[in-house]
Amino acid sequence: MASFQILPVIENRVVGPYTLLRVEDKKMHSIAKCGHFVMVGLPDSMDPFLLRPISFLSVDEKSFTILIKVKGKGTEKLSKVKEGESLKILGPLGKALEPPENGILIAGGIGIAPLYYQSEWMKSGVLFYGAKREKDLVFKEEIKDRGFIVNTISEEKRGTVVDLISENLNFLKGKKTFVCGPESMIKELKGIIGDYAKDTFVYIERRMGCGLGGCKSCAVKVYFEYKLVCQDGPIFPLHEVKFD
Amino acid sequence: MIDLTVSFNHIKLKNPIILASGVWDLPYTEIVDFNKLGGVVYKGISLKPREGNPTPRITETPCGVINSIGLANKGVENFNKEVLPLLKKFDTAIFVNIFGESIEDFSRISEKISDVSGIEVNISCPNVKKGGVSFGRDPKTAYAITKAVCKNTSLPVIVKLTPAASNIVEIAQACLDGGASAVTACNTYQGLVIDIESKKPLFDKVVGGVSGPAIKPQALYKVYQISEGVEIPVIGSGGITNYKDVLEYLIAGAKSIQLGSVIFNNPLAPMEIIDNIIKYMNEKGYRNLKDIRECIDE
Repeated sequence: MASFQILPVIENRVVGPYTLLRVEDKKMHSIAKCGHFVMVGLPDSMDPFLLRPISFLSVDEKSFTILIKVKGKGTEKLSKVKEGESLKILGPLGKALEPPENGILIAGGIGIAPLYYQSEWMKSGVLFYGAKREKDLVFKEEIKDRGFIVNTISEEKRGTVVDLISENLNFLKGKKTFVCGPESMIKELKGIIGDYAKDTFVYIERRMGCGLGGCKSCAVKVYFEYKLVCQDGPIFPLHEVKFD
Repeated sequence: MIDLTVSFNHIKLKNPIILASGVWDLPYTEIVDFNKLGGVVYKGISLKPREGNPTPRITETPCGVINSIGLANKGVENFNKEVLPLLKKFDTAIFVNIFGESIEDFSRISEKISDVSGIEVNISCPNVKKGGVSFGRDPKTAYAITKAVCKNTSLPVIVKLTPAASNIVEIAQACLDGGASAVTACNTYQGLVIDIESKKPLFDKVVGGVSGPAIKPQALYKVYQISEGVEIPVIGSGGITNYKDVLEYLIAGAKSIQLGSVIFNNPLAPMEIIDNIIKYMNEKGYRNLKDIRECIDE
């Protein structure tokens, strides 16, 4: 059951091109599930007006972490919240995923965050992971330590994660695959993986208003109807999602 | 003992705080205790389900938000079967906002609604091709729709007005003449956001509806104008984020108010606002809402 709270930030550190915020919360651990996210905002502030939907990076008995990529004014302000300051947190939200014991993860850029959390719920698997620069490939060692085979690629050296998948398409055969990354990457990937899309699931990102199914802002076309990312997602079968 | 009750034209509320249509759905009951609210207005429903507009459907503006949802909803049958029974569990006044693309649509949908505290007629949505703002700008259409709905229901009828009307007082008068029990003033303001990368409007339908603190003084003025000019109870709506905003609306003439976008920024705002009104009244020694309007502090 979701709740809305003002919670203290107990860690703010730079991880590659991102900011990791650790939020003190002893209750989240018992309710957060794989696939869940939170809405995050600044207390006593109407600028930005909307809270931002952000996936869990990790959840433990005392706290949870989120990863921020500065894209605009809102994420910039969030990235600057210091230890000892607080955040508005609404969550956990979304539909929980029953992760397989073993499967494939495909991450592009900050798309690694929810997949890192998902890897915690799995026993083993293969991670395909791309970023702009080699040094942006954060958390790859940690995922390796969780028993995953990790394949990385960077645009500065060789290409994108879509290139990596096209070289290793056979890996996807018979495996449940989970993808998170920019929508352009997901569209491209859908184009090359063909039939494997049936066993592939994608984390969808949308602008959100309420996070609670009220405002109907975060629509995504699934088959021929709109679903809401905050209620029906954020994870959808890739072959069912229709991109604009 | 402080009395927050409000009563006008067969509408009775335990306090003046109503949750506006379009910002909440059933999961929000997990966050806020609906038993404490004066009322709730369920999001605009139509005869048949509507899928709504393509995304993006929302973005921020300075001190507010702009949306282009397009009245996505699952239709009146779904409301009666799936939503109303769950809302009835709460001790609060339930209103339902209805939308139609023609006068006949409004008539037919109002027949299908019962067992609620009232119907809010939406002639003010800026995000639809047919109906919406175009109905709410024309006094004759506003009158005809209000009359058609009132003919088909014994429930109190509230008409939600658009600030896009050139003379909102005239529209409120038309609604009164058509038999409305109250008006809600007002729906979102029409606005535009341009994506400077694509050099096109951000929303597929170009126009969006602006809400939030950015529109509070404008909407408040509409409430004042209607209250001064027409003998119809006004439910104030637009940019309210705290108890002081509520006081402004009540003093301007509103009988009650609606909270909308503020719950995106602070989902607990309705509870905090009710608590702060009680605290304020205690400090001032006010006993009821009439005192707020009429007692001037020395």
